[in-house]
Amino acid sequence: MAQHVLETDGQVCPFPLVEARDAIARLNLGDELIINFDCTQATDALPRWAAENGYPVTHFDRIGEAQWTITVQKA
Amino acid sequence: MLLTGLGLGLALGFTMQRGRFCVTGAFRDLWITGSTRWLTAFLIVVAVQSVGVFALDAAGVITLDPQPFAWLATILGAFIFGFAIVLAGGCATGTYYRAGEGLVGSWFALIFYALFSAMSKTGALAGPVAALRGVTVPASTIHGFLGVSPWPLVAILVTGVGLLARHHLRLRSPLPMASLPARSTGLRHLLFEKKWGAFTTALIIAALAILAWPLSWATGRESGLGITGPSSAIVNYLVQGDAEVIDWGVYLVLGILIGAFIAAKGSGEFRIRIPDALTTVRSIGGGALMGVGASLAGGCTIGNAMVNTATFGFQGWVSLLFMIIGTGAATRLFITGSARVGTSPALVPANR
Repeated sequence: MAQHVLETDGQVCPFPLVEARDAIARLNLGDELIINFDCTQATDALPRWAAENGYPVTHFDRIGEAQWTITVQKA
Repeated sequence: MLLTGLGLGLALGFTMQRGRFCVTGAFRDLWITGSTRWLTAFLIVVAVQSVGVFALDAAGVITLDPQPFAWLATILGAFIFGFAIVLAGGCATGTYYRAGEGLVGSWFALIFYALFSAMSKTGALAGPVAALRGVTVPASTIHGFLGVSPWPLVAILVTGVGLLARHHLRLRSPLPMASLPARSTGLRHLLFEKKWGAFTTALIIAALAILAWPLSWATGRESGLGITGPSSAIVNYLVQGDAEVIDWGVYLVLGILIGAFIAAKGSGEFRIRIPDALTTVRSIGGGALMGVGASLAGGCTIGNAMVNTATFGFQGWVSLLFMIIGTGAATRLFITGSARVGTSPALVPANR
């Protein structure tokens, strides 16, 4: 299982979600995608996207003022 | 009692920031994911407000005064506005509350939106804007045109939106939605940490939107929530020093900015964020087009699509439709289309 990082800091919504969707398509099943983001709205959009697509979220936390990270597994 | 505008704005800005209520996102989702969840939340605000507004009208607290429908300017302006909010990354209120979160791109969008609103209403662009808005048809409201009471329309709207909301509440994802770990408890958790549901947020905003009518009316400003007029008034005041233009709406928009800042600061979501060159240019262009579009259409996503719709004005519903079409055009061009090239971040293997 490999882990990949997608740095989207500085990108406004909906770009973190659009980029995450593209990125996960390039991963193998079981791989994890770590998405770092600083767009507030994505705290709702990204976990919802993961849940609706059946991708388990293995980590989701704040990493600073208005900075978050979420790890989504391709399943 | 202009200060009631400030109080209402504070509550609105706070609610929008905490609830992540974004009209641009609601329209954009239709074109990116096909999701109607946020559009449903938006329509809940319209439907609930509709009940409140016609009740206030019937009770004689306010008197709705229909204006002739400036169809050409509304169609043109709404399309431009819908297109522009994708570039700016937020509609009028969205831009105010993101400015409060510290997004410098939204500061640019806000400044150019206010400037071009003033130019379109009282400045260099006022001539052409007024000429286009002079092209009208006598019809004003849907119920007026049909010659019926507004209440059957209110009933249809509430039923339709209720069914839509029920559909979304019954949807089940394959997996439960992940949430951020809690760090606080009690009121602080509820206000500054807990995730606010889209529909709960919509109900709070609807209550505030209804309350806006009598509070604004009491100060002589005879309308509900509005963003573009007050933004333009701020520019007029700043450059001409005429305090007469400061009305309830000016306090309202300042309140939104401060309310969003309090919400963001309190929840650790405030940070000055500097955009890259492309985002900066888009924010400026989007803000300028928003000012022109909203002035042409006679309102933004709030004044037209959320408030005028609640009174069943043709201007509101035609605006809503063309804003969504404009958002779709810009989404295809700048988000899902080729113009996105150059912004994509690199996908790198993690160091383990």
